[in-house]
Amino acid sequence: MGQGVHVQDLPGVGKRYDIDLGRADQRISVVMRSGGVRDLYVFASDSADPTAVIELSEEQARKVGAVLAATFFEA
Amino acid sequence: MEHADLVGLGSAVLLAGLLARLARRFGLPSVPCYMLVGIAFGPGTPGPVLVDHPGELSLLAALGLVLLLFHLGVEFPLDQVVGGGRRLFVAAACYIGLNVTSGLLLGLALGWGGSEALVLAGALGISSSAIVTKLLIELHRLTNAETPVILGIIVIEDLFLAFYLALLSPVLSAAESPAELAEDVAMSFGFLVLLFAVARYGARAVAALIGSREDELLAVLTVGLVVLVAGLSQEVGVSDAIGALMIGLVVSRTEIRERVERLVLPLRDVFAAVFFVTFGLTIDIADMDAVAVPVAVAICVTLLANVSAGIVTARLFGFNQRAAANIGLTVLGRGEFSLILATLAVGAGLDERIGPFIALYVLLLAVLSPLLATHSRYLARIMPDRVLRPGWRYVREETISTSCTHLDQIRVTRTDVDVCAACEALGDDWVELRLCVTCGHVGCCDDSPHRHASTHARESGHPIVQSLEPGEDWRWCFPDETLVRAPLGAQR
Repeated sequence: MGQGVHVQDLPGVGKRYDIDLGRADQRISVVMRSGGVRDLYVFASDSADPTAVIELSEEQARKVGAVLAATFFEA
Repeated sequence: MEHADLVGLGSAVLLAGLLARLARRFGLPSVPCYMLVGIAFGPGTPGPVLVDHPGELSLLAALGLVLLLFHLGVEFPLDQVVGGGRRLFVAAACYIGLNVTSGLLLGLALGWGGSEALVLAGALGISSSAIVTKLLIELHRLTNAETPVILGIIVIEDLFLAFYLALLSPVLSAAESPAELAEDVAMSFGFLVLLFAVARYGARAVAALIGSREDELLAVLTVGLVVLVAGLSQEVGVSDAIGALMIGLVVSRTEIRERVERLVLPLRDVFAAVFFVTFGLTIDIADMDAVAVPVAVAICVTLLANVSAGIVTARLFGFNQRAAANIGLTVLGRGEFSLILATLAVGAGLDERIGPFIALYVLLLAVLSPLLATHSRYLARIMPDRVLRPGWRYVREETISTSCTHLDQIRVTRTDVDVCAACEALGDDWVELRLCVTCGHVGCCDDSPHRHASTHARESGHPIVQSLEPGEDWRWCFPDETLVRAPLGAQR
C-alpha cells in the first residue's frame, strides 16, 4: 500500500484501511467487510468517536470511488 | 407418507423472523428472539401452541446445527489468528481461562453433577461470535484500537470450542468406566487429528470432489458431504458438531472456499433459526422459576470474569480504561454456542434444569450485553489508573492506534546522517539504515552483516527504530515486536 495508508486485519470481519490525511483533526478509515460491504468512518474532530459512519454496498462504494478518483463521466 | 406439519413450522419460523426484525430496531441480537418464539409457542408453555411435537423438527434442527458449525469452520480465519502473535493467544487464554473456570466452579457449586458442570462451563465461558461482531459494527467501533484484539479473542474462542466439544461429547456419552471414558476421549481426539490431516493434505481431493463450476451443484454436493461427515462423526462417537466444524476447516483450505461460504450462508441462517426455535420448543416456561436465582448468580459471575479479562487484556496490550471496558463488556454476548451445548446436554439426558437455565441465561445476556457495551464509558470512568499499565498515555488520547506502548519515547524523527558510522569504522557495507527515534543513533538493519541498529536498541534499551530508506515510513518496536505506525492525527 502507498504511504500514509495503514492496513490492519480484522479477523472474521475483513480489513481496515486507515488513511492519513496529514492533518491532526481529520482522518478517514475504511473497513472492507468480507461480504463486500464497506464501512466508511470519517473523523473530523479530535474525539476518538467517528463524526460519521456510512455503510456502503459494493455498488455504492464503486460509485463514490469513481467520483473521488475522477474517473466518473456523466452520461 | 406422514403428513408434515408445514403450518406449524412456517408460522413459527415466520414469527421468529418477525420478532428478530423488531428486536434489530432496538439493537438486540436475533438468536435469543428465535429461541423466545420457540418457548412462547411451544407445548410446554400455556397459550397457543404452534408445534405440538418438537421432535418432528429434529432433523431440520440437526441440519441447522451442522450448517452453523460448518460455516464457522469455512470462514475460520486461521492465518490471521496464527499471525496474530503470542500476546493475542495469551489474552485469549486469559479470557477463556477466567470464564470457563468460573463457569465450571459455578456448575460444581450448583451441585447438579460433574457432566452438567462441564456443560455449564462451556455455555458460560464461550461467547457468541455473531453477537459480538454485530455489536462492533453497530456501535461503530470497527476502527477502535481494541477491536482487532476483541475479534482475535472470539476467533480463538471458536477454535477452543472445537476442542471443548471433542472433550465433552465422550463425557456426555455416559461411559461406564474411566478406561472406557479415556478410550472415548482418545477416539474423539484421534478423529480430530484425522480430520486435521485431511484438512492439511486432502483439501485438494475434497475440492475436486465437490468443486463444481455450477453454483447449484456445488451447494448440493457441499451440503451432502457436510451432513454425511457430520453423521459419520456421530457414528464413531464424536459429536456431529465437530465433524461439521472440521469439514468446514477442510473446505476453508481450498479455492472454492469463498463460493461455498456465500452459498451456504443463507442455508445456515434459515436452518439455524429452526434449530434455535426447536430448542425453545423444548423449554417449559414454568421451569424457569426454579433456575432464576442460579441464573442471576451466573450472570454476575460472567460479568465479573469478563471485566477482569478485559483489564488483563488491556494491560497486556497497553490499552486505556476505555478499551479495557469495551473489551470486557463487548465479549459478553452469549448465544449460539451456549445453545448448542445446552442441546447436547438435553440430548444426553443430563439434569433437566440445564435447558431452562441456559435459555434464561442467554435471554438475559442478550438484552444486557448490547446495553452494557453501549454504555461501557461509565465503567471506564470508575476504573482506577493503577490496574492498567502506566504506558497507556498515548492510547488514552487516541483510541485508534497500534498496540505499541512506547510511543512516548519518540523524540527524533529526522536526521541528516546517511551512513552507518559503526560499519564505516569497520570498513564494511550495509543494506539499509535505521534511525533510533529516542536518541537519533543511526545504524544498519538486520539484513546487514553487523545489525548495528538492533545492537544499539538492545544495549541502550531504546525501543523504536524508524526506516531511513527513502519512501518508507514504518517504525518497528523491539520490546512489543510490532510495527508502529505514526499516530494518525497526532502532531508531528
